[in-house]
Amino acid sequence: MNVRQWAADLMLGVRFAFTGGREGWTRAVLTAVGVGLGVALLLLTTALPSALTVRHEREAARSDITFSGEVIPKADNTLVVARVDTDFREDDVRGRALEPEGPRAPLPPGVEKFPGTGEMVVSPALKELLESDAGALLRERLPDRIVGTIGESGLIGSAELAFYQGAEGLASHIETNQGRMERIDRFGDPEPVSERSDPVLLLLILVVFVVLLMPVAIFIATAVRFGGEQRDRRLAALRLVGSDSRMTRRIAAGEALAGSVLGLVFGTLFFLAGRQLAGTAEIFRVSVFPSYLNPSPLLALLVAVAVPAAAVLVTLFALRGVVIEPLGVVRSGRQRRRRLWWRLLLPVAGLAMLYPMIGNGRDNGDFNQYLVTGGVVLLLVGVTALLPWIVEAVVSRLGSGGVAWQLAVRRLQLSSGTAARMVNGIAVAVAGAIALQMLFAGVDSDYTRSTGKDVSRAQMEVTLPEEAPLEASAQKLRDTKGVQAVYDFSEGYLGDRATDAEWGTDLTVGDCAALRQIANLPSCRDGDVFAVHGAKWDTSLDDGNLAEPGRKLYLDPAYEGSPEKPDTPWTVPQDLKSAKPRSGLLDDEFDQSGFLMTPKAMPDTFASGLQGRAYLKIDRSVADVQDHVRNTAAGIGLLTDTVTWSEMERTDRYDVVRTGLFVGAACVLALIGASLLVSQLEQLRERRKLLSALVAFGTRRRTLSLSVLWQTAIPIVLGLLLASVVGLTLGAVLLKMTGTPVGVDWAGVLSMTGIGAAVVLVVTLCSLPPLLRLMRPEGLRTE
Amino acid sequence: MTPPAGSLLSAEQLRKAYGPTAALDGAEFSIHPGEVVAVMGPSGSGKSTLLHCLAGIVTPDSGTITYNGHELSAMSDSQRSALRRSDFGFVFQFGQLVPELTCVENVALPLRLNGGSRKEAERAALTWMERLEVDDLRKKRPSEVSGGQGQRVAVARSLVTNPRVLFADEPTGALDSLNGERVMELLTDAARSTNAAVVLVTHEARVAAYSDREVVVRDGKSRDMERAV
Repeated sequence: MNVRQWAADLMLGVRFAFTGGREGWTRAVLTAVGVGLGVALLLLTTALPSALTVRHEREAARSDITFSGEVIPKADNTLVVARVDTDFREDDVRGRALEPEGPRAPLPPGVEKFPGTGEMVVSPALKELLESDAGALLRERLPDRIVGTIGESGLIGSAELAFYQGAEGLASHIETNQGRMERIDRFGDPEPVSERSDPVLLLLILVVFVVLLMPVAIFIATAVRFGGEQRDRRLAALRLVGSDSRMTRRIAAGEALAGSVLGLVFGTLFFLAGRQLAGTAEIFRVSVFPSYLNPSPLLALLVAVAVPAAAVLVTLFALRGVVIEPLGVVRSGRQRRRRLWWRLLLPVAGLAMLYPMIGNGRDNGDFNQYLVTGGVVLLLVGVTALLPWIVEAVVSRLGSGGVAWQLAVRRLQLSSGTAARMVNGIAVAVAGAIALQMLFAGVDSDYTRSTGKDVSRAQMEVTLPEEAPLEASAQKLRDTKGVQAVYDFSEGYLGDRATDAEWGTDLTVGDCAALRQIANLPSCRDGDVFAVHGAKWDTSLDDGNLAEPGRKLYLDPAYEGSPEKPDTPWTVPQDLKSAKPRSGLLDDEFDQSGFLMTPKAMPDTFASGLQGRAYLKIDRSVADVQDHVRNTAAGIGLLTDTVTWSEMERTDRYDVVRTGLFVGAACVLALIGASLLVSQLEQLRERRKLLSALVAFGTRRRTLSLSVLWQTAIPIVLGLLLASVVGLTLGAVLLKMTGTPVGVDWAGVLSMTGIGAAVVLVVTLCSLPPLLRLMRPEGLRTE
Repeated sequence: MTPPAGSLLSAEQLRKAYGPTAALDGAEFSIHPGEVVAVMGPSGSGKSTLLHCLAGIVTPDSGTITYNGHELSAMSDSQRSALRRSDFGFVFQFGQLVPELTCVENVALPLRLNGGSRKEAERAALTWMERLEVDDLRKKRPSEVSGGQGQRVAVARSLVTNPRVLFADEPTGALDSLNGERVMELLTDAARSTNAAVVLVTHEARVAAYSDREVVVRDGKSRDMERAV
């Protein structure tokens, strides 16, 4: 056999893929669309690492506040930058106030010119928001004139809300606002610290990738088999005119090759379109610019080679049980009973690969990436291997019921492999998703932690800048729409010495009503001072004997290295009252310690050494109440800090992985749903004449529709059962690997299997209109 | 216009177009109980469309079809479906047996669609299969039997409900002459034994020879032919 003959056969196959009139084209396009969708998803996956890297690089390039603690001297190349982030509804808004101190002050990435006072440059997304009606409330908070937009190099996503505003007089506040304000001479961290990747997080990412890509691979394998029956008939005709069985196989391979190569082209187009679309979308608060999504060339090349190769192999594998004779096609698959032993070997081998890592835990746990990937792949491939056996074993035992049931069961008995193949993708996706759900639920406590906040008495905290008058500011907050109560305090620190104090404790100044929120007071009148004894959180008041009447203490003591300042002494009064601790306004664990002082008892000298803070009880039923408060706070001063407290918080990275899973699972299930629908329609089209004949002799359309539903429902129920078993097993193994107690997240299992079942239901519903059309009597026409 | 006296099924002034093509253009037809009428004509003349209209599978654009005193065109789709289940039987060129079902299950299918129990339906099916000499095929699937055998199974299926009208669309079109004749013999004998009327669409004169009367359809119009004796 020479290469020329091979090439000629393959080319003949390629021609067959596109000839045959409208039907031939339709089939080729269907295959190409199927393969194309899979390729697009694969390319997207290969582009994700680069997207994450670019995001990380852009974030690093604009880093400004470094928490270094050192203040560099003012120069002509310095810039004072203050973090003035805010939130709008559920979105974070990144904000910086800039005060260049000389002509060579560094410009932030993406900004061409410093905004002057009363001006700001904003991200395109923020500009759009501020110019829309929806952003009117935010515009009140950010009233500066927009003089430009931040370029792509200064943003980490197309939907990011960010602004730089011009400011003056910031420099004098650097000392008192460390961590929020800094003098810098460059943007970007010259010595970036690369974080050691968390092994559990790495495990999660690996499993997410495998779980999402496996069904895509299965989908591609299904897509290249579209039109299989017609192809077999065509090949039989070729045998009649002298083609031998090897030639027919090569021709079939050529057909598959053509479909998959066209699929590659489609996939690239889909990917490019999706890439542009990705620039306009924001999913779970993550957005990217199209330019971020560049597939790694090596991985893209791998996709370009692997997909056509896989298509050819799958086709040849599918033809294994088919004997194409000149007078027709004989399927020998039916005679061979499926064997269980090698199908069981796959998941067992998968478990064996994962077993050595059980108990590695998260402390020393650098999981072997290859074993993890291999093990998970084998376990999931096990689903695809076991499912045809299970479907065959079960349907062969099903008895006959009504006509719809009988038609469905008989069809499944005749071609259980096709049925199993149709639901393989969903079963694998569901098994993987169940395992991931379990893993997420198990490690949830690591990544989701309770803030310890009791949000029943107050939900927002406003920290006032030093120059803001507390009483007037509190009144403004009280007058804000939706605010029910404001508890305002001035907070400071008292030490036993003016410099280098050995013992020190908190001082909180507030009226009686406010003080009662943080301690149990026996009685209270303006002019009283209390010492809180027995606090768990901070015991220095009692340990350092600071509450002894007549003892001299100092407000805001100085420490070695800090700038000099005048002493602010205070003598513990003789009529000091005793108070008992009470859980904090926002924190169950935290109980206020130290001295509590009513306003009349506060010496005038204290006014400048105290920090104003207000806790707000808000009425969440008032629309945008938090943004009304933020607007009021912003009106009080640029550096006013507003925090909304919730009971739980998660780390960002966990959120990103979780988001990735949901987005990926949604895409994969949509993809599989589409493939199911295409296969379903193809099968129905091939039975068009029979369906019309059945209707002709009076078969109810309902009976045929029900039969189609059963045909899909029976394999999917079996598939979901198997998926649950494999998913739970894999989940348990993964949890054991991370050293987390094994617990079944039944809600997760039910929701995932429910989603899988819903996909099938939707596909069946979508296939009903074409089914009803195919049942029309026109199907009986031959001319 | 009233249907011819004593006719079981009749059609008057039937018109049906598929797009710009007129398949029927004022066709007329009638058949009496127990009568076998051959509808003949060249390919594309409209004979299958006439059969589909008569059977209530296709609704004509205009004209009336009367079955047993009831106007078919006035019936709803579900009423016509019910009528096809109870009173009509069908045989198509390629049998159109359900490939997943065994032969006996295929024959029993119309009875089951009528709500009959599986056991009773299959018992009745077997009786008809015996009459059509295919009872030995009862456990085989359609793909495992020959074309002639399959067509006889299809005839058994069409007769199992004891229909009053049997519609046969080129029932021997896919068979050799020997098999074709055997099928026609069995079909007409069985129909006559139950007094069923048979509408037989064919373009073969030797098949039409089994009929009592011939109607020729040409360009959508029908014409009764005198049988040359």
